[in-house]
Amino acid sequence: MSNAPHILAVDRNQRNLELLTRFLGAAGFELITIHCLNEFDRTLLTAPSIHAALIDISGFDRTIWSYCEPLRDRQIPFLILSPRTSPIIQQESLAQGAHGMLIKPLVVKELIGLLNCLMGEQP
Amino acid sequence: MAHDRVCTGIRGLDEVLHGGLVPGQTYLIRGGPGTGKTTLGLHFLAAGAANQEKTLFITLGETSEQICRHGHSLGVQMDDISFLDLSPTPEFFTTSQTYDIFSPAEVEREPTTQRIVEQIETLQPDRLFLDAITQFRYLTSDPFQFRKQVLSFLRFLKERKITVLLTSESSEDAPDNDLQFICDGVIHLHFAPKHRTLHVSKFRGSNFEKGYHSLRMTDSGILVFPRLRPELHKRNFHPEPISSGIPTLDALLHGGLERGTVTIISGPSGVGKTTIGLQFMKEAAGRGERSVIYTFEEEIEIILRRCESVNIPARKMVERGSLSLMKIEPLQFTPDEFAQIVRHEVEERNVQIVMLDSISGYRLSLEGENLVSHIHALCKYLANTGVTVLLINETEAIAGEFRATEVGITYLADNFVFLRYWERRIQGELEIRKAIGVLKKRLSDFEKTLREIEITRYGIKVGEPMQGLQGILSETPFLRDEL
Repeated sequence: MSNAPHILAVDRNQRNLELLTRFLGAAGFELITIHCLNEFDRTLLTAPSIHAALIDISGFDRTIWSYCEPLRDRQIPFLILSPRTSPIIQQESLAQGAHGMLIKPLVVKELIGLLNCLMGEQP
Repeated sequence: MAHDRVCTGIRGLDEVLHGGLVPGQTYLIRGGPGTGKTTLGLHFLAAGAANQEKTLFITLGETSEQICRHGHSLGVQMDDISFLDLSPTPEFFTTSQTYDIFSPAEVEREPTTQRIVEQIETLQPDRLFLDAITQFRYLTSDPFQFRKQVLSFLRFLKERKITVLLTSESSEDAPDNDLQFICDGVIHLHFAPKHRTLHVSKFRGSNFEKGYHSLRMTDSGILVFPRLRPELHKRNFHPEPISSGIPTLDALLHGGLERGTVTIISGPSGVGKTTIGLQFMKEAAGRGERSVIYTFEEEIEIILRRCESVNIPARKMVERGSLSLMKIEPLQFTPDEFAQIVRHEVEERNVQIVMLDSISGYRLSLEGENLVSHIHALCKYLANTGVTVLLINETEAIAGEFRATEVGITYLADNFVFLRYWERRIQGELEIRKAIGVLKKRLSDFEKTLREIEITRYGIKVGEPMQGLQGILSETPFLRDEL
């Protein structure tokens, strides 16, 4: 197993997951991707230690918020990705324990910097 | 073609560009959908391939298969054109290749530019056509980045001495002014409701033909008809008078009509204007010279039959090649296209007399605006090349007050010949007769009197100067003695 920090990425869009894997992989991260929420619990149980998580709420209903709780319980820092600026989503994200909300499209360099910060490293 | 120019593959466009594109430069082809940008690019690449140059077509929109099909349908030789197809594959749609996590600028720019650079480095093309450069806007995050990217790309191409055509799909929301500043030349293609035109607004390192030039999309691609510039065409000739072959008519004109002059033959319907013009052509044929009639109204067969009935062997002249008749159908050509047809006759077939029958037909039949300026340019061109021009002008009124022309082009004429009906009373019976006179002749004196003219089955008969004819310019002429 590599020493690369593991990032859990939850996204309904397969292509988004591929791109995250490509760009974050190039920056030294290892991605664990979840396309369907059915896989969530199993992945969390079987995956090696997860250092941070990205949850893209696009395409999911309100049940997505219930998946934040296991992350919070495991003290995995996570970011919510939203397709638009919304105070309601932002409030809900923070209430669910997210470290912040990012609006898509993301800037690769900024995302890498944020993930490094989340894991206690300076960019 | 100048040695230091790159041919576009479109003869008329090369003429507009004074010999072709300056090599190693970058040109922007602008125009809305369906204006012919891609077709122009195919001509450009095919011309290079025919010249054993390496050519590359980079497409970001249509697939290379579609472009090849289009090229083949135009008869363009596509085999030697290399393609870099960056158009989206069907999988992009069917396997959900859309994304929104990062911007296209982040995702696509690098692989796209990498593929372009690799292809150019591998092929080392002499000519490149990129359709469309404006797609690059989506691969950059802001206008500054776009400008920087394009400038850098063009510098990369310039260092490799590649002649480049870039198409632009501009709109009100995404104007391409920045690209127009960056490129060395800008060619605009227009598709107005009635006709297509082309104009050049920028061409570094060379002069070019300004203004709008007619463009036609044909089954074999684009044809460009440069606007006629008479001052560019000069030919040495002796302005000798050419005879009509009728001594009395020549006497009226003090020898005939000089070469390189414009003559308006004016008169009401049926008075014999076209027949007078044909008489000069008949005589020219006898000297071995060639003439052309462009008829805008009458059918060719009718003209030929009428000639036979007045002893002008027009049909034989056509057979021998000393006369050509061309019927111009309404809205068939633009003035630039028509001028090109006339130029071909003058420059390739050495025509000596050109007749436009009639001026009003020209104005009604040709598409476009400012037709007076077009006919002016055409006449000047013909005069500069020593061709004798006959313009047939039909006056609306059969009788009544004299009017030189009704189309405001009298100033064009070096010579003005007019025909009129007049009345004669013989033994109490009124008879309609015809008379011919000269109102103006720039290069020589002329008879100030009128002569009677008769058009018979033996030919044209012009009588002696008429005495006592009154009311020529004010009403229907009549003989004073016979009142």
